[in-house]
Amino acid sequence: MTVAETTFENLRLELRRGCLTLAVLAQLKQEHYGYTLRKELAEHGLEIDESTLYPLLRRLETQGLLASEWREEDKRNKRFYRLSTDGEQILARLLDEWNAINSSVSRILDAPNAEIK
Amino acid sequence: MELLDRYLQAVRKYLPLRRQDDIIAELRANMESQIEDRESEVGRPLTQGEFDDFLRKMGHPMVVASRYQPQQYLIGPTIFPMYLYVLRIALLWVFVICMIVAAVVTPLTPPGAQSVFDALLRIPGILIQTAAWITLVFAAFDFARTRYPSVGSQIEGVNKNWSPSSLPPLTKDATRAGKGRSFAQAVIEIVFSALFLVWLLLIPKHPFLMLGPGVAYLQSAPYQLSPAWWSFFWCVVALNVIQIVWKSIDLVRGQWQSSGPMQQILFKVFGLVPITVLLTAPDHNYISLKNPAVDAAHYGQNLSQINNGIHLAFSVICAIVVLQLSFDLAKWIWEHYRNRIAAG
Repeated sequence: MTVAETTFENLRLELRRGCLTLAVLAQLKQEHYGYTLRKELAEHGLEIDESTLYPLLRRLETQGLLASEWREEDKRNKRFYRLSTDGEQILARLLDEWNAINSSVSRILDAPNAEIK
Repeated sequence: MELLDRYLQAVRKYLPLRRQDDIIAELRANMESQIEDRESEVGRPLTQGEFDDFLRKMGHPMVVASRYQPQQYLIGPTIFPMYLYVLRIALLWVFVICMIVAAVVTPLTPPGAQSVFDALLRIPGILIQTAAWITLVFAAFDFARTRYPSVGSQIEGVNKNWSPSSLPPLTKDATRAGKGRSFAQAVIEIVFSALFLVWLLLIPKHPFLMLGPGVAYLQSAPYQLSPAWWSFFWCVVALNVIQIVWKSIDLVRGQWQSSGPMQQILFKVFGLVPITVLLTAPDHNYISLKNPAVDAAHYGQNLSQINNGIHLAFSVICAIVVLQLSFDLAKWIWEHYRNRIAAG
């Protein structure tokens, strides 16, 4: 991997990190366990590694944004996650922030002197 | 499924003890669901190769486990600059103290290269210990800070409510930046250096210029200065002459604005010559008796103590000058390197 590719990869991961959190919180308005959540996100075009998603769920739960419970489904115990009340409020604020950033970047790119299209 | 068990066992080894069972149970449920899905897609159990690929895609057990760790570093980015600053200052001071202690202790120990060598060999160990302790303290502080945000919230660099007025004043170097010496300042420096040289040259004939009324005491005392001081004196005179000539050449060439770092380093190197001359005086003989046959019994022991004291004092001075020189040299090399990098 060249230096430019490494730099791009690092920046891409940095960019994705926050977006993934937002997507996971949004998707967990409905209850899911780890694997089905990953499938749902992939179906919406957002591929995410297991080794990234599962620890992320734990972290968000520790921060009080998700609630979880162990339940049996298809003869197997699974841990189901859903958005907590605090999580709903944080998600709403994060979405506002996301939309504001998105609009700003769009305006910057649409500006007459913008060279990147 | 044996391979899955082996994989999960390997992951467990690197997980936080308290949450091992819970994380492994969840990971197992997710992975088994995923395997079932794959198997129903292909309509048969996964082959050994497919299972290997699946686990390889999950990642190395250590990497997978590491994602569950709350803190991935010993000292986080917030306090790392502070850590680096403290480490640098502490190591520098420990090195300075080690050198001074070595310079003081070495003359007191039996002579020989072994004692100097031993003193120098101890320095790396002390530096490593200092660095280890500082790292440990900062790691503990960062650990506490991330878990209990109220801890250290008032520490500079961590406190969000810091006041810009608490910033340190401009350093001398920064104030001077861009302001060179004026022509008048350069001329005054040369004139005063020349006057100092004249004063220095008058001392041998008129010692009261340096000692004042103490001359009378020295004349009545049983001691006299040894010839080593003459060598020292002429080295100091030569050093001053070189400085005056150098500064005068700079003035004539129109380069009086600032003395370059290399020039300052060279003057410090020259400054070591007179000190070395004194330190290498035969038998550390700086003061001798005017009439050894008469006074040796009475003043002999005092004389030895005085000579040892003078040697010790000049050893310390020598160590300080060498340290200053090393520091200036390192700074010059660093600046040189930085300028080269900046110039591409």
